[in-house]
Amino acid sequence: MSETGPFHYIGKPLGRKEDQRLVSGRGRYLDDIVVPGALHACFVRSPHAHARILGISVDTARAIPGVAGVFTGQDLEKWTNRLRLAPPIEGLHPTEIATLPTDKVRFHGDPVAVVVACDRYVAEDAAELVEIDYEPLQPIVSLDSALAPGAMLVDESLPTNLVSHQKFAAGNVDGRRRQAHAVVEASFSQHRQTHVPIETRGCAAVWDPGRAHLTFHAGNQVPHPLRSMLAMRLGIAETQVTVISPDVGGGFGQKIALYREELTVAALARHLRQPVRWREDRAENLMAASHARENLCRTRASVARDGRILGLELEIVEDFGAYCFYPANYMSRVVAMILTGPYRIEDYAFEMKVALTNKCGNGPMRAPMAITSWVMDGTLDAVARELDLDPLDVRRVNMLRASDFPYRMATGEVLEDITPAETLESAVKAVDYDAFRRRQRDLRGEGRYIGLGICTVVESTTYGSAFYKSAGIAGSGHEAAWVRVEPSGVVNASVGLGGTGQGYETALSQTVAEGLGVDPSQVSILTGNTDVAPYGMGSRGARGGTAGGGALYLCALKAREQVLQIAAHRLDLNSAQELRLLDGQVERQIDGRWRATGLSLGDIAKIAYLDPTRLPEGTSPGLDFSLTYDPPPMTYSNSTHACEVEVDVRTGKLSIIRYVVSEDCGTVINPIVVRGQQQGAIAMGLSGSLLEEVLYDENGQNLSATLADYLVATACELPNFEILHHHTPNRRTPAGIKGMAEGGVMGAIGAVTNAVNDALAPFGVVADRQPLSPQYLWSLLQNAPTASRQEGKERSERHE
Amino acid sequence: MISLTVNGQTRETVAEPRRLLCDVLREDFNLTGTHVGCEHGVCGACTVLIDDKPARACLTYAVQMEGHEITTIEAVGEAQLSPLQRALHEEHGLQCGFCTPGIVMTFEAFLRDVPDPTEEEVRDVLSGNLCRCTGYQNIVAAVLKAAATMREARL
Repeated sequence: MSETGPFHYIGKPLGRKEDQRLVSGRGRYLDDIVVPGALHACFVRSPHAHARILGISVDTARAIPGVAGVFTGQDLEKWTNRLRLAPPIEGLHPTEIATLPTDKVRFHGDPVAVVVACDRYVAEDAAELVEIDYEPLQPIVSLDSALAPGAMLVDESLPTNLVSHQKFAAGNVDGRRRQAHAVVEASFSQHRQTHVPIETRGCAAVWDPGRAHLTFHAGNQVPHPLRSMLAMRLGIAETQVTVISPDVGGGFGQKIALYREELTVAALARHLRQPVRWREDRAENLMAASHARENLCRTRASVARDGRILGLELEIVEDFGAYCFYPANYMSRVVAMILTGPYRIEDYAFEMKVALTNKCGNGPMRAPMAITSWVMDGTLDAVARELDLDPLDVRRVNMLRASDFPYRMATGEVLEDITPAETLESAVKAVDYDAFRRRQRDLRGEGRYIGLGICTVVESTTYGSAFYKSAGIAGSGHEAAWVRVEPSGVVNASVGLGGTGQGYETALSQTVAEGLGVDPSQVSILTGNTDVAPYGMGSRGARGGTAGGGALYLCALKAREQVLQIAAHRLDLNSAQELRLLDGQVERQIDGRWRATGLSLGDIAKIAYLDPTRLPEGTSPGLDFSLTYDPPPMTYSNSTHACEVEVDVRTGKLSIIRYVVSEDCGTVINPIVVRGQQQGAIAMGLSGSLLEEVLYDENGQNLSATLADYLVATACELPNFEILHHHTPNRRTPAGIKGMAEGGVMGAIGAVTNAVNDALAPFGVVADRQPLSPQYLWSLLQNAPTASRQEGKERSERHE
Repeated sequence: MISLTVNGQTRETVAEPRRLLCDVLREDFNLTGTHVGCEHGVCGACTVLIDDKPARACLTYAVQMEGHEITTIEAVGEAQLSPLQRALHEEHGLQCGFCTPGIVMTFEAFLRDVPDPTEEEVRDVLSGNLCRCTGYQNIVAAVLKAAATMREARL
């Protein structure tokens, strides 16, 4: 399956086909779709974090002119099915969610009722008039209070708030601890964040009573799984639902689940026999769409004198929020499974706890396993600090080398075709590590504190169905594609992905072009319509290139084979062995040279469609191909991030001076698109580490419901990124594609925090939580051990 | 009934005083290139030009706009892409594209006033537009490239 030879179309830096419409404002996002006669929905949301619903009075709201109806959880119970999640995973409690709550609200922003009106203004007016009688309950707003004995239950069907709990051990970590030269403990606290796609959620539902058919417009990453879920929750057949996902203004993992608001809108369109649409406002998006992260990791490393890790233990605790739209073990599980990443660690144990709290429910956000590399490389930095070793040496002594692969990690996952030692060395060389240390020493003498953080990432990119099975995650990792050469010789192709800005129309056309042998300009990629696309698993993780691009490439190869068989027949050859298709022309190898045959793909297509009696015996008319492709259990890419920062110790202000990443993501389909993904991922990691934070107060009130409170990095906070490339193809995937779109987040979180700790080393303080705000860094310095604070202060004063 | 001048054309519509300019542009005039991202003036996706100056259409009532000239993304590069739009394409300065019209409007105006900006100036102005996909690096490169192209064209 592997191809190491040169490609004709894969790897070319082609400008994106989708740009023309997007730069001129002619994209077609959800809210740009005109649905004649559509009513507008507005949700009434809970002002309490936790409260029993005693009664809902809708009469005043319903009396407003223009209001078509006001509906509550009781209504939706009649028209929809609940979401029950009960995958057979040991230690995971089954959960069930009503479409809208009927008994109690579980977080500030929980949707309780919905108003449908002639326009959004009227709907919002009426929503304010819905009166709900609440009995406030004690809110659970921290992991500690969630897990305290006798804690108030967030979900009353569970025995405790601990919704998921698993343990794992390989080797003998207890024995390793006893043998160790030192046992080093470290902790890593990642705060709550949210995705902030610039286009918020929304949908438009059209029920056709004549056909008994729902057309559901929604910006979504996984159109077919969304369709399955809609049909199931509405109690209708999948044949009765079409999901159309237009241009999507960013997803980052937020546009995967079927949300309660979307289901409500679909059910109302069916009930009212009139189209209904909804566009979330930004406050709703920040409070009530989906949150992410908020987990605490503690590690305990048993180490030899030279920093070699003999045994590693991880405890991970995650605050999952109030509702489970995904199995609660899912995100933490991936962190725990791949934690050891680029390092040789045979003895490894973990314990995972996931708790429910009165906050918006968690979901995967670009790099659901984001914290992994910070925890691993941060642990190595802790080892270096404790044993007074150079952090780079500690990495080198533990790093897996080329000869170690394929390497079976302690968790059983197999790493192969990755190059962490190589990316580490090239990143270190690029930043000139030794020169940096000298500069750092000199500047400290001037009272300036710079730091260098290194973080090596092994990124799980494409999950095959075997991984889902072994990890106990419901679902599959396969993808589906079709390729159709039309009668004129141009090509339509489709795949089950749902793009949210990844440039699929361009990059995926290159994979089809490569497999078939036509110029990418002749290939149109059709996605985002479940009646057109084959049933695929959609876009999540970093699977688009490997699973989607791979499926299309294989399908196009299948098409080429038939095209060349027809060509051989037309040319009176016994086999197609000496033929190839390039730029849509059939060529024949004669005496080692490729020569034109005068036959084009258009000629073959014409025969296949319009003159099939001239086809070779047994060949079906037309040129229509499809297949499904299941990637290996897991593919991995790797990278090393090196971040140089300066901390102003008088104010705690953090500045990023330089950012270098050395990345190996195998075969690159389109270098422009890939670089964009790498930059975007790093940006999201830095933005989250430096600025973003979902804040709840002690009563569970969300304090970060505007973009003036929830800060996303602007152009002034982010540096330019220098990217170094390695290209080690994966030998098991079509064209050697691996994927990459999340590793940047993982590496950035680790590199910038490690850099801060390197800068602050003279003060004897360690930043073990984020965001790395000036307030936090300043408070760390205020509480620094006296001697080192004095030393640092004197240094900084000396030069003021 | 109000009368607005949009992209050089006079257009009439019925709008309550509380209706936002962005809603009137999008819903009444079908000018859907003006995107609505936050409705509180932070993200910049809805940026249009009012009398040639960038402004947030989500913070402006349509009725306030009588007697003013409004320019939206639909008027930029109508026949062929503007140098800025072309540079955004060439430098891969957009991914999902939702924030892009606001960025185009911001810098069409800025580059008229500041034809030879520094990277720092571009970043400063760009900080009024949020982009969640790109990390801004390529947008900055595109603006600088467009500035150079436009300067050459003026020579």
